[in-house]
Amino acid sequence: MSVTTSLRRLTWPSRDAVLAVLFIAEVAMIGILVPGYLSPYGLLDASRQFAEVGLIALGMTLIIVAGGIDLSVGSLLALVSVTIGFSFQAGLPLGAALFAGLAVGAAGGFFNGVMVTSLRLHPLVVTLATFALYRGIAFAVSKGAAVSSFPEWFGIFGQTSIGGLVPVQLICFALLALVLALLLARTPFGRRLYAIGNNELAARFSGVNTALTRIIAYTLTGCLVGLAGIIYTSRISSARGNAGYGLELTVIAMVVLGGTRITGGSGTVLGTVLGVLILSYLQDGLTYGGVRSDWALIVTGAFLIVAVLLNEIFRRVRR
Amino acid sequence: MSAPAELLPTAAADFALRGVGKSFAGVFACRGIDLNVRCGEVLAIAGENGAGKSTLMKCLHGYYLPSEGHIEIRGVPVSFRSPRDAEAAGIAMIPQEVDLFPELSVAENLFVGRKRPRARWGGFDVHAMQLRAREILASLKVELDVAQPVRCLAAAHCKLVEIARALNQDARLIIMDEPTAALTEREAENLFGVVAQLRARGLAVIYITHRLEEIFRISDRLVVLRDGALVAAGPTSDFDTSQLIAAMVGRPLEQLFVRNPHPPGETVLELRKLARRGQFTGIDLALRSGEVLGVAGLIGAGRTALAQALFGIAPADSGEILIGGRAVRIRSVADAVSLGIAYLPEERRSQGLVLPFSITQNISFAVLARFTRFGFVARRREACFAQEEARRFSIRGADVEAPVEVLSGGNQQKVLIAKVLALDPRIIVFDEPTRGVDVGAKTEIYAVIDALAREGKAILLISSEMNELFSMADRILVMCKGRVTGTFERDEFSAAAIGAAAAGVARSRA
Amino acid sequence: MAVETQVEMPMARAMTSRERRWRSWPQTPSLVFLVVLIVVLCVTTPGFATAANLRGVIEQVAVVAIVALAVNQVVLAGEIDVSTGSLVAICSFVYGNVALSQGGAWLPLCAALIAGGAIGAVNGVLSTYGRVPSIVATVGTQFILRGIVLLAGGAQVLNLAVDSRSFGAGAPLGIPTSIVVLAAIFLAMQWLSSHTTFGRDIYAVGGNSRAALATGLPIHRIRLLTFVLSGVSCGLAAAVLLGQIGQLQATAATGLELKVIAAIVLGGTRITGGRGSNVSPVIGAVLVGVILNALTLNRVSGAYELLVLGALILAAVSFEGVRQRLSGERN
Repeated sequence: MSVTTSLRRLTWPSRDAVLAVLFIAEVAMIGILVPGYLSPYGLLDASRQFAEVGLIALGMTLIIVAGGIDLSVGSLLALVSVTIGFSFQAGLPLGAALFAGLAVGAAGGFFNGVMVTSLRLHPLVVTLATFALYRGIAFAVSKGAAVSSFPEWFGIFGQTSIGGLVPVQLICFALLALVLALLLARTPFGRRLYAIGNNELAARFSGVNTALTRIIAYTLTGCLVGLAGIIYTSRISSARGNAGYGLELTVIAMVVLGGTRITGGSGTVLGTVLGVLILSYLQDGLTYGGVRSDWALIVTGAFLIVAVLLNEIFRRVRR
Repeated sequence: MSAPAELLPTAAADFALRGVGKSFAGVFACRGIDLNVRCGEVLAIAGENGAGKSTLMKCLHGYYLPSEGHIEIRGVPVSFRSPRDAEAAGIAMIPQEVDLFPELSVAENLFVGRKRPRARWGGFDVHAMQLRAREILASLKVELDVAQPVRCLAAAHCKLVEIARALNQDARLIIMDEPTAALTEREAENLFGVVAQLRARGLAVIYITHRLEEIFRISDRLVVLRDGALVAAGPTSDFDTSQLIAAMVGRPLEQLFVRNPHPPGETVLELRKLARRGQFTGIDLALRSGEVLGVAGLIGAGRTALAQALFGIAPADSGEILIGGRAVRIRSVADAVSLGIAYLPEERRSQGLVLPFSITQNISFAVLARFTRFGFVARRREACFAQEEARRFSIRGADVEAPVEVLSGGNQQKVLIAKVLALDPRIIVFDEPTRGVDVGAKTEIYAVIDALAREGKAILLISSEMNELFSMADRILVMCKGRVTGTFERDEFSAAAIGAAAAGVARSRA
Repeated sequence: MAVETQVEMPMARAMTSRERRWRSWPQTPSLVFLVVLIVVLCVTTPGFATAANLRGVIEQVAVVAIVALAVNQVVLAGEIDVSTGSLVAICSFVYGNVALSQGGAWLPLCAALIAGGAIGAVNGVLSTYGRVPSIVATVGTQFILRGIVLLAGGAQVLNLAVDSRSFGAGAPLGIPTSIVVLAAIFLAMQWLSSHTTFGRDIYAVGGNSRAALATGLPIHRIRLLTFVLSGVSCGLAAAVLLGQIGQLQATAATGLELKVIAAIVLGGTRITGGRGSNVSPVIGAVLVGVILNALTLNRVSGAYELLVLGALILAAVSFEGVRQRLSGERN
């Protein structure tokens, strides 16, 4: 038996299969209820939006597996977007502005990581505070205005497709999903994350630098937020301070739906990807069907709670 | 060794255990225990670590349901489904670790979970609660500010609050589990006075300890547990120190394992005046390669703290550590590992293993770098290594890909040993390596330790089992309350002397 | 001969018991900070110490404080509730609609209290018996409720009749009604905390939940009731808010939860539970209100509000974290 299989044992045995089936059923049902939905172009185009969220969900998986949480990702996205827009507007060449955005993302994640580890503060409270802090900085910098004067070529990240069909960001998401899946399942770093999430004391006794590992997880997520920020800003060609409102909720819901236990120690990237797909296409289907966007809030909130409840039930049943 | 003394006639016993035994997953922690205690009497339960004392008392206190036998109160069999039932029946337990509510006041801690006295206008009568708290404490000849929160109290006072709490619950039997473990001598004296008060008030007290002088000081009768069975009982006045120790450890110098003797090599590790505030002080130690140095002592003696200082988890404050003659600083686990020191922690489930991980993943965890190529873990090489180690240490019970939580205690311990040894260390510290391990696995673990010594490793063996130390150690170091109280060469091994040193009794007492 | 094996807390020896208790009150640092801040503002910012300005601050603070007093109990019990903003919004909807159809103030209040309590109970059941971590449960309900409010209310803005504004408007005997309500709630909470079994048990559950369970305390039920309390207080806060503003909006009380958490944390209640008093959240609410007011008076744009709140929470918990670290890694 392979190591991956034994890692799979950490979640419910055929959970990923169940999720995959659920996903297909869901798309099929939306296709039936909403005429015209099931077109290859339409389905692929939906990935324009979920690629951003998905990237962040990949990072969030690492954090939650290691027993932490990050409530500030939505605000950090806004901050990244604002950084790109307003530094460009202030005269910085766009390439450098993008770089600045990435750097801000990484810095935001790093700050979260340091606060959580150095003072042993609860990640909940820290990221709740940075949730406010980062968005506050974004508002302060943007002063409510938006930057839209980007050059044409900026759209390459968020608006173009390969072969006229496959959006660029979907490829990006798929690649990074693969990289992170390998990182989590097949590298020592990934092992350390699982160990810390399961038994931090044993990890420390084994010589693992738990603080550094955690900081890396948070910083990596910050980088992914940076990347997502670039794609997002490129997609809507606008940088504003209210981007990503409610994003953290959606991301956590996707991760948990994918089988990652909120308390840490188990979960896979594949599960998260399936969670991303299920939730995104649900939201997309609702939008396409003309349902008001306020429903999205309700649906996402409900999904989050139900997903955690189900995870707990499955865990009990397994025992 | 005398046969167990006769039990008191049923009518005279207020609390009795009849044939009580408790097993976990088929392994009995204690079995066939008959004991009883009267009101107005102090019964001491003596025995080494792992003898089954705590498990037995947890049965009495309702925390566990006995697997066999039953409890009787005044001759009437009773069954407790939870500690609350036991408390309602008048049995209270003072655990080893303080378990109070730090933010509530002393007076309030006495009343948590109980009906509080009400004032006329509907709220609590805080004064009445405080008055009662003071009354109870006064009856124990203790004076405390009952309005202060418990977190402001010293550990000794916390113990007293716990006793007061038990009295407030109208307890008639109070079980104390190693109450003096964290107390200074003066505080322990005060506690003895309190125990005397309890006896005078007509309560029954069961006093669990392995400190011999305490047993002789305060108990009326005693029972000795060894390996889960009752091996001696009777009035305390019938026993003397050597008899007691003999009962606790069994036949002295019993060989569990025969080692191949060989001369030790050079001094590999030296400690000079190593100290850590509140844990240990003035530790001088020299360890040679190929030598097994046993470390004996009671709970709270500071042995694990010393090991953790050596391993960088809780570094020492002062003193020197020399490895191979060179002074070194060990400030983190990474430091220790790079110096070739390995540590097998005491609690394998909570400190050593990651239970959902497979055997392979646990064994390779500390040395993943060895199996990493281009950043990825080479799973097949890892699995091969695990298979080899499983064969080498006779790890049985499952495929190497199975999660370790399904293994027996003995096999889990072997996985932990394999993990620790994967680093190929020079100096290995074993902390209670055979605790909770069945006899067969124990022998296999001893064989491993012996082989390691033959290979020239320097080994520190922390153990609470006298026989184990006698069989495996070339020398024995004894610690008590943070200091070294004795060193014994192989020809000086004597259960009485070691027991006395561990208890902090002066050496001249035989 | 024996080594002194334990470390006695230095405080226990050096001070008298009364000194010790004052020094260890959780709200002492924040109280001191508040007094200093007010003095500084009176001196530096004209317009701060005017009756009109202070009245405005007090009214804002009242709403936050009413909710913070109840959420404080949730935090004391070891949980957290971040759904309060949306809860107040929903309750104000209930209040508004009942007031518009039935008139008066007491009937709408009852309706709002019941609605708040019911939703609080849902939060509670999810967080305790449902084993959903309370942060996840309350974030989830926060979004669900906000969605419901936006759907039901849309962009409409309704005006309330004067007699429905009794809980927030007006000033009997010169004291603003909001303050009267706040004082009443504060006294009720004080009574709860010091004189009811429930109130003391909350401290026990938050301080040592394992021992609380062993003692037989119904920890799930206790925690659930704190969530209900939180919900009911949101209903009351909704009545007060509507009384103050006089208008019903679907976006009411957005961001309230952050102010509430900031108030609780700044006031000195320990975020992990078990430690804190009823005075703490009130002081914290005043502190938050004064700081935000200082921003407004100094022409700092409203956009900085979030930033300041986030920085404050971070500073407060860091301070607490450093303090714990220095005093010896108390767990």
